[in-house]
Amino acid sequence: MAPRLVALGGHEFRSRSDELAIVEYLLRLTGKECPRICLLPTASGDPQEGIQRFYTTLDRFACEPSHVSLFRLERERVDLREHLLAQDLVYVAGGSMLNLIAIWRAHGLFSVMREAWERGVLMAGQSAGAMCWFEHGITASAGEPKVAAGMGLLPGSLCVHYARDPHRRTAYLKAVRDGLAPGFALDDGAGVLFEGRRAVEAFSARPDARVIRVLAGGVEVPLRPIGLRHRLGLNRDPAVDELRELRRAREQLRGVRARAFAR
Amino acid sequence: MEAGNPLLDDYVLELTGRDRPRVCFLATASGDADDYVVRFYKEFAGGRADASHLGLFRRRRGVSDVRAHLLSQDLIYVGGGSLLSLLGVWRAHGVDAILREAWERGVILCGLSAGALCWFDTSLTAYYGSPERVNALGFLPWSFTAHYDSEPARREVFHRELLAGMQRGYAADDGAALHFVGTELHRVVSSRPRARGYALRKDGARVIEEELATEYLGAPAHEGRIRVRPYPALQRAFAAGAAA
Repeated sequence: MAPRLVALGGHEFRSRSDELAIVEYLLRLTGKECPRICLLPTASGDPQEGIQRFYTTLDRFACEPSHVSLFRLERERVDLREHLLAQDLVYVAGGSMLNLIAIWRAHGLFSVMREAWERGVLMAGQSAGAMCWFEHGITASAGEPKVAAGMGLLPGSLCVHYARDPHRRTAYLKAVRDGLAPGFALDDGAGVLFEGRRAVEAFSARPDARVIRVLAGGVEVPLRPIGLRHRLGLNRDPAVDELRELRRAREQLRGVRARAFAR
Repeated sequence: MEAGNPLLDDYVLELTGRDRPRVCFLATASGDADDYVVRFYKEFAGGRADASHLGLFRRRRGVSDVRAHLLSQDLIYVGGGSLLSLLGVWRAHGVDAILREAWERGVILCGLSAGALCWFDTSLTAYYGSPERVNALGFLPWSFTAHYDSEPARREVFHRELLAGMQRGYAADDGAALHFVGTELHRVVSSRPRARGYALRKDGARVIEEELATEYLGAPAHEGRIRVRPYPALQRAFAAGAAA
């Protein structure tokens, strides 16, 4: 199977139905009953509250969530490569694209991310975490929006928060007119699924969230995304409750072990 | 920013020679962790200093002209965390060059752990478990490791790297601080009675590790003032090291 990646124009781990619809979409794409999903919150400096929101949101789904904090590897002691390769889904959170790329480069993560992607781990990311896969993105990491280089696993460029941030749109269209390789523009709540280097599906979890193909010269061509829906309250799957208990028990065990180890 | 021990913070503040020095905190190595930034303000705000911080993860908020802000400080305080992440992010934002300019213009630079390792040419980071050599900013043309007493593996690796050709340098226990003027070591002070600094160099097939005379800042003679006295023994040791 070709490597797959989902680029999101803006998404948060919150309990709103459109945000949940995207989580559900990603989990379903893995094709697993209980997918392993790992959060990489590097771009925002691994903030605890963001990590907590991820776990709180994922708690209602059948999955095995984990996260890797590059800023706390010292304490967490995981083999990053091994951990990422064992996942069904890796979700790269947003923040500063400039910092994300700089930190991944400094830690030698480009090759690990490429390897995981090529080996069939579904990659997903929102905002900076989506743009980092392309040759270029439009980042506000240093204040005013401007072009920043990504890892370049996918061709062309990506611009996120398209409707919400008009300055970003202006900067993107100008850059494309000035010769930047064209690509996609995504509103918050919308995204594109790539297979290999090819876009195969545009989707949107909000009625007004757009997926726009931006052509050379800065021509915007809106695509017609498929609509994602999540119906709150209808996911009382007994398997999820069971899983939740299992996770709690495991966390407790881990706590007991850590305390025993500390002594 | 040692919990409950202000001795080293007092020392760096006094070095500025100002009643209310301008102090800017860089928490880059921790990913601009909120709780760390809050701790900095608790220690440094409130009359002692004109405190600010420079966040590099949310640039749209906060300081707009990074260069002007850093150059206008009396003291720049760098927090601990991941050395590799700190170096990557600083380089991406051009902060490394600005800090060099600030240092050359007389702004005092200080920091702990990753925030101390960053200034040297070669430093040991233990971020992935076992200590590894990292090329850092190189303002100080020496090698360096922190946590010399608390992480025993660092001594072994530091010695091994020296024998493998790493340039001579320094080590510091937790609570010990090396004070450089220009690129030369000026004093070694500490916030804990038993903390020490060390000078290390290769001599033939062995490593010479010298414990440096370290002034405990909590000793009665120190209370309320800083004594400035030269270290002739130390300077000789380094003249010898340079000649070897």
